[in-house]
Amino acid sequence: MRIRTGELLLITGFSGIMITLVLALKWAPSVSIDAFSAPIAQRIFYWHVPSAIAAYIAFGILFVGSALWIFKRSALGWRLHVAGAEASLACGLMAVWSGCIWGAAEWGTPWDWTDVRLNTFGLLTLLALFLVLGRQSQPDGIESRDTFSTFGFYGFVLVPISYIATRIWQIRHPGPVVGGGADGSLSSKMGDVLLIGVISFTILIIGHIIMSARITEYEQRLERLQNKLDGEI
Amino acid sequence: MTDPLLQLKGVTIRRGTETVLSDFNLIVSSGECVILNGENGSGKSTVIEASARLLPMEKGEILHHGKLVYDFEGRKKKPSFPFGLTLQSNCLVPSQTIHQHLETVCKISQSNFDFLPLLEIYGLSHRKHDKIAHLSGGQQRKVSVISGLIPAMVTKDPRLIILDEPDSGLDDKSIDVLINHIDQLRDAGNAILMATHDNRLFKCATKLNNLKEEIVQKPAKSKPWQNHGKSSPNNFISIKMGWQYNFSTLANIQRNWLAALLLIGGLLSLVEPLSISEHKVLLVGFTLAPALTIGLVGDSVISMLFEQRAIDWWRSQVQVIPNSSIETFLSGCILTLFSMQIFLENIEWSLVLIGGFIALLTTMFVSFLQLSTIRLARSNAVYIRLLTPILILPWALIVDYGATLV
Repeated sequence: MRIRTGELLLITGFSGIMITLVLALKWAPSVSIDAFSAPIAQRIFYWHVPSAIAAYIAFGILFVGSALWIFKRSALGWRLHVAGAEASLACGLMAVWSGCIWGAAEWGTPWDWTDVRLNTFGLLTLLALFLVLGRQSQPDGIESRDTFSTFGFYGFVLVPISYIATRIWQIRHPGPVVGGGADGSLSSKMGDVLLIGVISFTILIIGHIIMSARITEYEQRLERLQNKLDGEI
Repeated sequence: MTDPLLQLKGVTIRRGTETVLSDFNLIVSSGECVILNGENGSGKSTVIEASARLLPMEKGEILHHGKLVYDFEGRKKKPSFPFGLTLQSNCLVPSQTIHQHLETVCKISQSNFDFLPLLEIYGLSHRKHDKIAHLSGGQQRKVSVISGLIPAMVTKDPRLIILDEPDSGLDDKSIDVLINHIDQLRDAGNAILMATHDNRLFKCATKLNNLKEEIVQKPAKSKPWQNHGKSSPNNFISIKMGWQYNFSTLANIQRNWLAALLLIGGLLSLVEPLSISEHKVLLVGFTLAPALTIGLVGDSVISMLFEQRAIDWWRSQVQVIPNSSIETFLSGCILTLFSMQIFLENIEWSLVLIGGFIALLTTMFVSFLQLSTIRLARSNAVYIRLLTPILILPWALIVDYGATLV
């Protein structure tokens, strides 16, 4: 059996994530009890942050795919939209879920409805859920592609808001760990594990997007063949 | 008799995965009756719905009375004159009576018109005060067809009439009446575009168009339609109709109020307000929660209009579809006042107004979400309400502000 690029990247990314998990639990240094209420739960960070970064990348792909469909009617754009929405949902859910567990341990509550970062990121994940479930509920066609692409395109506005939320309107969620100044600096070992996590998640979603785009292309070919058959009958 | 009342210029429309119309052109002029008689799936209904400004186009533009009303970039302008429309679905609101519905059509046509003789001819006069929901399928179709003809009947000036399979479900006698009316309206100078497979209606046509080629024919002359109505300007139709739809069904009470009252009941079953009297934010949150709930349930009139595609008929006729904005605002104020009495035990009028605006803005947002998915084949199954949690953060901030007022 021939292993294609998509599958190879998926396997590589998944392996990298597993390695990250082991390193996070066994190798990464413990944080100070003065800095965190729940220092052990802090290790979720090595899963939470890479999945969130991967989700932002996936939202970017969703945006590009949606724009390509809306402005160019590009079939590749639609395939990117579909793949981007699925990857956004998967990574978004991982980030939200891990964040809730960490929040419950650190803050005593899994969610804060008044925190802008949590709300905007949660909403982005709901947007991805809507796009995935909504697409499955409708027959494929120009109407559904236009509608969902419009949401994917304009929904992207939440990404920069979510990204800058902790810089200009910090309520509960901590500030950025990368590029966030002295407060956000990490020790060398912590940075290494985080980097492995980010690279692994990124490889995973790239693999997923290649695979998903291929599956959507097959679906489109099947649809065309069925339409051809309908015409012949 | 040559003024074009309807023009489709270079229209390309895709539906589903197919391009249904490609660079399609059509002109229907005053005194013409163009019948679209192509086979199933050829695009007849697409032409009809595009002409009524209901379908987005990939290319092209639609003109009514020589003025642009819709183009491929989404520019949608109100037609200068009302036009008659009967779609494949009846587009009726089942809670309305025949009389109420036809009166609405007359109002949109900016006219007073005695439609009782019409009901007589179609055999509906004895049911004029019956709700549309109580009529048979054939009777509902008759009401829908009459609605499509009235805008041309009420005035001497030429009007456009668009009919999609008006004959479906009609008995032979009604089809004869319809043929007679179409002949009379055509010879009075109106422009008629109709899609049908019924050969009996073909004799009304000046042109038979199967979307590939057009055959010109000369129909028999008839006496032009003369029983016109009187001009009667009507403004704020959408607001008035929203109020009427709500008033006749109490939909706002049974949907939105019930949800809000259940919420208050649920909160009271959990919390004794006096026991948390020092938690102002919590109490203001409980006070403003019913207003948010009213909005999250959605606009009762818009939900009502989704039945029988009445919303499409309204979208084609007016720029702002009927809605329950006023009722929603009032409901928000009243229920906030009520919950304020329970949770805060005093009255702060600014908070009451805040409650009204929360209900109104939330409803408008939910309606926007609903209407943004209207093109979809299964718009009710699209999970759009997954996006409503976006409202929680602003609501929580308003609650925070409200706590400073009490």
